[in-house]
Amino acid sequence: MRPKENIEEFVKVRKPDVTTSRKMDKRTLEDSLAAMEQTIQAKSADHKPSTARIITLSRMIKFTAAAAVIIAGISFFIAHQGPGEQDDTIIVAEVTESPAEIMTMKSLTIAYRRGGIEGIENQCEKALKILGPQPVSLSLEDLFNGSKS
Amino acid sequence: MIEDNILVWKFNRGSKDALRQIYEKFKDDLLGLAITLLRDRSLAEDVVHDVFVSFGGTVGSFHLSGSLKGYLSTCVANSARDRNRLRSAWLAGPDVVETACYDSDGPIENAIGIEKSGELQDLLARLPYEQREIIVLHLHHDMRFREIARALGISINTVQSRYRYGLDKLRSIINSMVTK
Repeated sequence: MRPKENIEEFVKVRKPDVTTSRKMDKRTLEDSLAAMEQTIQAKSADHKPSTARIITLSRMIKFTAAAAVIIAGISFFIAHQGPGEQDDTIIVAEVTESPAEIMTMKSLTIAYRRGGIEGIENQCEKALKILGPQPVSLSLEDLFNGSKS
Repeated sequence: MIEDNILVWKFNRGSKDALRQIYEKFKDDLLGLAITLLRDRSLAEDVVHDVFVSFGGTVGSFHLSGSLKGYLSTCVANSARDRNRLRSAWLAGPDVVETACYDSDGPIENAIGIEKSGELQDLLARLPYEQREIIVLHLHHDMRFREIARALGISINTVQSRYRYGLDKLRSIINSMVTK
């Protein structure tokens, strides 16, 4: 029996020498190029540019987008919260000038926005302190219209 | 290797010329592999055709981790195995080939005579498909056992044992022909 290497060499050097036919070349190339074209078209249809995709393209764009979002957030906060605070201070000032108005819907709404139910309770306690205990005969209309007791 | 990587790079960018060059470069080797595995030129041509059509469809996302030849050879081997299973189911038996007997000095010389008459493929056809596949991938397509194992999804020990058993059987076939 011959050594293993002889068999290996025997198989190795006698690699089949085959060539493809022109017909096969034509068919295979045409079909594979068509498959390639089809994939390219499908991918180009799928890859519509989206904002998220553009943002993730580079680190620089990521940082720019993050900065833009932060600036937009701060601007929004200032635009909506800033004037509101001013309005509140005006109303609080008005409330202190007219203690009877401390229980109006507007002042209660502001109190609720600031402190929720606790804010309303505080507002009520404050009103009680300023206005004092009311006689039974005092109507709600008198109370909310700023009756001087 | 570098040339293959450049071709793959161009192919991934949609170069039809790159695909043509890849086909031209490997078509004969791949057809030879498919013929050795299937023993049927028509089926072998279909296998190579299907492999290249699938390959064309991977444009833009094809990632080459090893050699391009190894990748394509593995695709052909896998496709050929599927075809062989289908064919075996239809024929319900292995492809038995009649082998001529030659008078010569020894098994190797005898085998050379067989090869000269174009029947070397018949010797390989007498091996079980799994052994033939590994011998051809290793000896004709220069794939290492590790690569073959990864490509076929089997352990390297299985690949090595199939290779060893295949060579032993091939040797015994040649020897038995001498004794006739």
